[in-house]
Amino acid sequence: MAISVDPPDVSEHLRQKQGYTFTFLSDPNTEVIRRYDLLHKAGGPKEHDISRPAEFLVDRSGTVRWENFTEDIRIRPRAEQMLAAARAI
Amino acid sequence: MGPSFSEIASFSGRSENVLLKCVCTRATLLHFMPGPNQKRTNSALWIGLLITVLGPLSNFLYYSKIPAAVLPWLNLAIPAIGLLLVLIGVVRASRQPQLYRGKILGSIFTVLAALLFAGSVWLFIHVRDVPRSAGAPQIGQRVPDFTLPDSTNQPASLAQLFSAAPGMAQPKALLLVFYRGYW
Repeated sequence: MAISVDPPDVSEHLRQKQGYTFTFLSDPNTEVIRRYDLLHKAGGPKEHDISRPAEFLVDRSGTVRWENFTEDIRIRPRAEQMLAAARAI
Repeated sequence: MGPSFSEIASFSGRSENVLLKCVCTRATLLHFMPGPNQKRTNSALWIGLLITVLGPLSNFLYYSKIPAAVLPWLNLAIPAIGLLLVLIGVVRASRQPQLYRGKILGSIFTVLAALLFAGSVWLFIHVRDVPRSAGAPQIGQRVPDFTLPDSTNQPASLAQLFSAAPGMAQPKALLLVFYRGYW
């Protein structure tokens, strides 16, 4: 599941263009992004507030089992890395 | 065979040789100084600029299998090496203008290489300017539940996403990917 400040129609466009089948959630007011302390103030175009990149693998009880916070927005976890973490649950 | 060292020494030892020596030196210089067409290409300038241009292009290596941790430093080191080579070329051209071309080209390349290097430094700082997020949920902690609209404008909560889709087993885990957006 992916979350960003993008409005639903933008996310839907991205989802269809890329052929993604997972859920996209929209948080344009950075409400949830703030609650998770992921706000990147003025990090977007035209000084818009956005989310910093972060990944959480959460089990059924809502507990974080694996997470990743990049220090460089060019570096993101690889699919194999996330799948390995998911298989370990 | 040219004159030996002792011959030159004895020749220059004569009192009337001052003028001769001057003429001789000038003749030698004229003879050995390469003409405008014999100047060497200042390869350091060209290789330097090429390497500097590879700096921004090395950002595409993030799609490769190279360990990501070394890439930011590689993105910075490549244009730095390129700029250094260009500067070596400039020093060559200014110290040995009779041997190396590129006095004018060198200054143009220096500006280009310096701009590309400055851009790489700016990018390096900009992409690493990420908040620390010390208050984010840690491993072993529970994440707060929430409800947000999905891409079809339907409200979706974490609890809902954990419930089984029709004909599917209940998911064991959920991966929450927060991303920057503006794609």
